[in-house]
Amino acid sequence: MSSGNVVIAARAGHAGRLSVARRPVALGLVGLALLAVALVAGIAAGTVAIAPADTLGILGRRLLGLDISPTWAAAAETIVIDLRLPRVLTAMIVGGGLAVAGAAFQGLLRNPLADPYVLGTASGAAFGAAIAVLIPVRALIVEFGLLHGLAFVGALGAVLVVYKLSRVGAASPMTSMLLTGYAVSSLLAAGLAMAMYLSGAGLRQIFAYLLGGFEASSWGRLAVAAPLIVVASLGIALRARSLNGMLLGEEAAAHLGVDVRRERAVLLALASLATAAAVAVSGLIGFVGLVAPHVVRLVVGPNARLVLPLAALLGASLMVGADLAARLLGDIPVGVITAVIGAPFFLVLLRRARTGYEL
Amino acid sequence: MAASFRPRARRADPLLGLILVPLLAFLAACGPSAVVPTAPPGATSSAAPPATATPAIPTATPAPTFPLAITDDEGTTVAIPAAPQRIVSLTPAATETLFALGVGSRVVAKAEDIAAYPPEADDLPVVATFQGIDVEQIVDLEADLVIAGGGNPSFTPLAAIERLRGVGIPVVVLYARNIDQALAGIRLVGLATGTSPDAGRLTAAMATEMAALGAATAVLEHAKVFYEIDATSKIYTVPADSLYAEMLILAGADPITTDDSYEISLEELVAADPAVILLGDDADYTTAADVAARPGWGDITAVKNGAVIPIADYVLVTRPGPRLVEGLRALIEALHPEVLR
Repeated sequence: MSSGNVVIAARAGHAGRLSVARRPVALGLVGLALLAVALVAGIAAGTVAIAPADTLGILGRRLLGLDISPTWAAAAETIVIDLRLPRVLTAMIVGGGLAVAGAAFQGLLRNPLADPYVLGTASGAAFGAAIAVLIPVRALIVEFGLLHGLAFVGALGAVLVVYKLSRVGAASPMTSMLLTGYAVSSLLAAGLAMAMYLSGAGLRQIFAYLLGGFEASSWGRLAVAAPLIVVASLGIALRARSLNGMLLGEEAAAHLGVDVRRERAVLLALASLATAAAVAVSGLIGFVGLVAPHVVRLVVGPNARLVLPLAALLGASLMVGADLAARLLGDIPVGVITAVIGAPFFLVLLRRARTGYEL
Repeated sequence: MAASFRPRARRADPLLGLILVPLLAFLAACGPSAVVPTAPPGATSSAAPPATATPAIPTATPAPTFPLAITDDEGTTVAIPAAPQRIVSLTPAATETLFALGVGSRVVAKAEDIAAYPPEADDLPVVATFQGIDVEQIVDLEADLVIAGGGNPSFTPLAAIERLRGVGIPVVVLYARNIDQALAGIRLVGLATGTSPDAGRLTAAMATEMAALGAATAVLEHAKVFYEIDATSKIYTVPADSLYAEMLILAGADPITTDDSYEISLEELVAADPAVILLGDDADYTTAADVAARPGWGDITAVKNGAVIPIADYVLVTRPGPRLVEGLRALIEALHPEVLR
């Protein structure tokens, strides 16, 4: 059990505190409450003030089909339904998806520094987006433009290359994969740098993509990305048992009856799919996929059955909250907020888990 | 067991800021014309005249009747159901144009403008800054026409245009990379706002005046001119196929031009040896003394002769609005002041 062990048992000894067994329930409730608050705040707040009663009325009328006669301007309805709601839901889905993918990558690679971008998805997506900017044909303004399409393809392509290349050589599969991921990412980063150099005034567009954000969210885009992210995340959650087995090491997992090779490939594919869809719709937003799973593990331990759903809840609330903060502060890059919230919070938790922390 | 290295994917490099800051600064300072276009030039209801150094004089156009469908400078067909009463301008040039066409009272929000013109627009809410577009507020203002800036990359972020159109607000995208297209853009705004006769008169007067100024400078000596956009790290100047270059030629200059990267190396610049250096978009923070003090610049003829001239009104040189003529005058004032006397 060397590596499958977050030792929080010491803290359970503190009298009167939550027992370890109850923590998942408590954290789940806290997570749900957080998400609910974040969603409500995300829909209620914005640069235009709309009375909470009107917001509720609009939601009730349009989403629940209640027969409420409008006491609000038509513009308010457009703002809530067509501008805020898809944006908040996109942030929720992307945050949850990145957290689940991050947890899966950390477990698969048994590396606490792994995040959803570790195997080249980020550099692949960025390179794809940069190429799209260089192509002198204006992307059709459909729900998914050229930039998002190529970002998605780039992200998946990079992981596929890493996976194929890492299957040769003597190193253990995971080390090999990390090293290959590093090499491929570096190469793609060089390509990105070159593309940025060549892009001239297009630099602004590439840079905006690298910073990430949700201002371009729409129902159509959500409808394309959400099914991919949700299905992939659910697929990962259903494989929690395999992920638990792999935390013990490949041999132990094989002894537990896990088809290691196959499960690893499937989990990698699902996590990469969720990540690719997320980065295609929102650009590169760091920290949520790295921090959310760790925070959950620090509280409830390493069991993937608990970590995956709780990390999804936490990632979703964190992202919705970060996007709201970003909007209220004048559309600053949401990645700045996730790092500013995420890093200190993470450090505090890490310090409190005095007894040491391993995956 | 954790590997000791950190195989994180590369994100934005801090060095990027060094490249980006000057670029963004000059993009922010210019009108939409500072961005590199690929979209076809503005096909208005009448075909756009071919690009020449001397602008063509447009013919009068009748007032349009609503509803109407117009084709904007990106080739998008925009339906305008009725004469717009709540107009939002997302470029400083469009703000100027709307006020010049007499529909300023119908403008409900504007873009941030470093030149703060016209003064009547001072109190309008700002919904477009370089950081982004406040789509929510535009919707809340119940805008029935939005004038945006195009190009590639787009002056107005595509995401914002898409979202506005998505909620049913007509968005007309303007983009000019030469004088004729700038005038066509003004006429397109006239068409969209039901002020075609005014726009026709305004652009005809502008074209006549610019043609006269161009004719006056055409016979004079065209000195080799370097128009400096920024030189804090890399050196940026005007692309050959741009509103900048056309304005400089019309003002009686032989501009040193570059490709669409806007970049020129110091070696190329020294080899081209300009007789005059015009401080354009960096005129607010650069002086002739700064230029002379730059390593390697001392041997350039313009520096040796003290012919480094700031253009205080540099904003007007590429702002595709009604004051484009003033931009031309500012350039001529620096190069051939006798023409204006």
